[in-house]
Amino acid sequence: MRDKLMIGRMIPTGSRIHGLDPRAKIAAMLLFTAALILSDGWLPVVALAVLAAVVLAATRIPFKTYLRAMRPLRWLMLFVFLFQWFGGTGAGNADEAAWAWTFGPVALTSSGLSEALLAVSRMALLIVFTALLTFTTAPSMLSRGVEGLIKPLARRGTGAERFSLMMRLALRFVPALLEEAQTILKAQAARGADYEEMNPREKARLLLSLLVPVTVGAFRRAEELTTSLEARGYRIGAPRTAYRGLAWRGADTWFTLLFALLPIAALALRLTA
Amino acid sequence: MRGWIKRRAAGKRNSGKRLDGRNPVGGPPESVPCPQIAAGRSETVIELTDADYIYQAGSPFAAAALYGVNIRIRRGTLVGIAGGTGSGKSTLLQLLNGLLLPAGGSVRVLDHMLVPGLQKPKLNALRRRVGLSFQFPEQHLFEDTVEKDLMFGPLNFGMTREQAQAQALEALHAMKLDDSLLKRHPLTLSGGQMRKAAIASVLAAGPEVLMLDEPTATLDSAARRELVLLLARLCREEGRTILVVTHRIEELLEVADEWIVMHEGRAVFQGDADELGDRADELDQWGVAVPEPLKCWAEWTARLPQLAALPLPRTAQEMARRIAEAVHQSANRSALEAEAGNPGGLEASVCATN
Amino acid sequence: MKRETAAELSGVGFAYEKEEPVLQDVHLRVGRGEWVAIVGASGCGKSTLVRLLNALLRPQSGTVSVFGEELTEHNAPLVRSRIGMVFQNPDNQFIGETVEEDMAFGLEGLGLAREEMERRIASYSDRLDISAFLPRHPGELSGGQKQRCAVAACLAMEPEIVVFDEATSMQDERSRLELLTVIRGMKDHGDYTILSVTHDVDEMLAADRIVALKEGTICADRTPDEFFADPGLLRSCGIEPPFRMELARQLSALGLFGAAGVYGNTAEAGRFGGGSEADQRRGTRS
Repeated sequence: MRDKLMIGRMIPTGSRIHGLDPRAKIAAMLLFTAALILSDGWLPVVALAVLAAVVLAATRIPFKTYLRAMRPLRWLMLFVFLFQWFGGTGAGNADEAAWAWTFGPVALTSSGLSEALLAVSRMALLIVFTALLTFTTAPSMLSRGVEGLIKPLARRGTGAERFSLMMRLALRFVPALLEEAQTILKAQAARGADYEEMNPREKARLLLSLLVPVTVGAFRRAEELTTSLEARGYRIGAPRTAYRGLAWRGADTWFTLLFALLPIAALALRLTA
Repeated sequence: MRGWIKRRAAGKRNSGKRLDGRNPVGGPPESVPCPQIAAGRSETVIELTDADYIYQAGSPFAAAALYGVNIRIRRGTLVGIAGGTGSGKSTLLQLLNGLLLPAGGSVRVLDHMLVPGLQKPKLNALRRRVGLSFQFPEQHLFEDTVEKDLMFGPLNFGMTREQAQAQALEALHAMKLDDSLLKRHPLTLSGGQMRKAAIASVLAAGPEVLMLDEPTATLDSAARRELVLLLARLCREEGRTILVVTHRIEELLEVADEWIVMHEGRAVFQGDADELGDRADELDQWGVAVPEPLKCWAEWTARLPQLAALPLPRTAQEMARRIAEAVHQSANRSALEAEAGNPGGLEASVCATN
Repeated sequence: MKRETAAELSGVGFAYEKEEPVLQDVHLRVGRGEWVAIVGASGCGKSTLVRLLNALLRPQSGTVSVFGEELTEHNAPLVRSRIGMVFQNPDNQFIGETVEEDMAFGLEGLGLAREEMERRIASYSDRLDISAFLPRHPGELSGGQKQRCAVAACLAMEPEIVVFDEATSMQDERSRLELLTVIRGMKDHGDYTILSVTHDVDEMLAADRIVALKEGTICADRTPDEFFADPGLLRSCGIEPPFRMELARQLSALGLFGAAGVYGNTAEAGRFGGGSEADQRRGTRS
């Protein structure tokens, strides 16, 4: 199970990107996403891809690993591609296209193809950049980064701390719950209810029957976990020190500024075009 | 005691054939037409030949793959499977009812042959006859009454409601649980009851082979012993073949006919308790603690060499009787008793390694 | 020799639901530096008892005091910092993504400075021989290794009382013995008061005292050899006598060696090899 879930696992290489403040990385990711959404046409997307490639190289994580992170979403990407090509906006401009095939209502055009490829490239870039964030940042740092970013928004109360703890525990326990669900499916298969041999209706019924034991399991875990948290003196709102404090350095400022330029540039490009 | 001696005799009768793992007793596996015809105690019901299981992503259990496993298990025996964490012992069980399929070699269970590259076979016919109980009872209990949980298997295997109900009741009785539990919600049972109900839910389908993954973990020692005796009864009286994965050899030593030790994905040992005793030194390097009875027996054998010719006694009572006989026979009995008087002597050996 | 009291329950009663009391009128005193094993059939209230000690639960009647201080709503956090707990399932007590972060989690709550945290993590991971696991995810460790890490995380908080709540029951044979060695080491170290809730006979034998619970009350409070000399008591607590002891009993029943002699000696030599030494040491200190 853990093998399938690539996202959520840090791959330590000790690169400069690993050393950046998680807040900078999260901000960069948000800015990068904004730029992707704003960018229109191949020029900005290629520019963003080049930048992404540079950053990926700087993480010293093999490129293959990023491709693997994209794998679980390959069908969705294919769907987006086909959807865009067959029915997307590009299909309408058959006259402008270099070539076009028309089969009744369906028109496949070169510009449609270009649009579809562009959409998929955007998606791939987004996935790769998210993967980059999780590959280079330990989950605890990630949740601390999020906490750090939302703290100014939730000045009063313990909202940020609660959210951060929740995220941390979720990252830690969701894989365990998935594993448990899989074991129960196996136990059911052993008693003659093989999920893989079923029709969709039976499948749905079986999955529903998982709800009780998995929920019970989740509650049992949650209870043990709260006991353990409490026994270790954890109280929401109690003063804590940080073992790995977040330290914003010059590099973080530069990194964030660089990414802050992206959506601005994309927007400018769009307006001038 | 007599029962124990009888069991041992049966074990010895077959041990010669059993040990040369690769030589099938009943000819090539495909030729076994039907278990009823080839019945009898020596019939091989499970046979793994050079079976491999390659770790596959997405399988949470397959921490260890299996490499070239050769195992043969006879009908009606109770087999203990020992091994450390990640030795592949749980993976082995899942290979035997087709939850996992071998990547190399072959796995024959009853008259089903599982080989690599098999198009996803229909396995329910096999799974009805080979039950598997997982480690945590909660994983078997997901309906809102115990009865429904017990009927889940029988209904899936195509029985009518009446049949399933009858089977559920029978399984409940076989696990020595009270009828009143049928209508209870499974999660309101006590730990021990839940464990037995989970096993009953597997038993209800009437499997010929019953496999259990660490059925005694987290139970207290009296409940553990009770469960082990129940399993032994299912084996002796109903003729079921029972495979029990355990990390406590000691608790099964009294009842197991045979032992398999797994280590790093290989079956490093198959044989009876005596043979296990002969290789006690290796147990530790296989990641398994040497069980107390073996230690005690080894200590006494060192003191009274005539004990070495005897089979390993399975209970403390039996061991004491053997020792007493040997002591009484012993010509130098007085000398021994003198030794026993000093703390470094015989008495110390009774308890030296506690 | 009366030791300073580490924890004391007097007249404690507790029920999750009113009609079904889990504990009734429990009196128990645990001396500093003592190792007390708490035993009994499942559902007898063992785990509840230790949860009362660090105010995870609050008694409905009676008082619980730790180091002479009665537990109240106010001092609960302070008391908790003096009591560490190790639970049955190591997976559900790991909060950090790595062993190091998990150890740090408790220390952050103590408000320690970074240097002190680093010192403690280094020192306790070294003591429990888990330094190599520090950067690892708990999923990569075996059950025994995880449990050792949990002990390290607990000890790093430098508690005076350590509670093991069935900490060995999910472990395989080898890990169980390994953990037992760790607890023995803590006992010999002398600074810890240890309470272990357990089904494990070896753990009971290693303790100074065995407190048996039955139906919510203490039915026996004895030394291990007294405890194991009473077959009826063992049966009522769901405990099978260990093989060695049973063998010795059978041998003496067959008239080999003086009946009392062999039995008593078995229990003693099995346990007091190191124990008597520790007793002496404790004696001179208190």
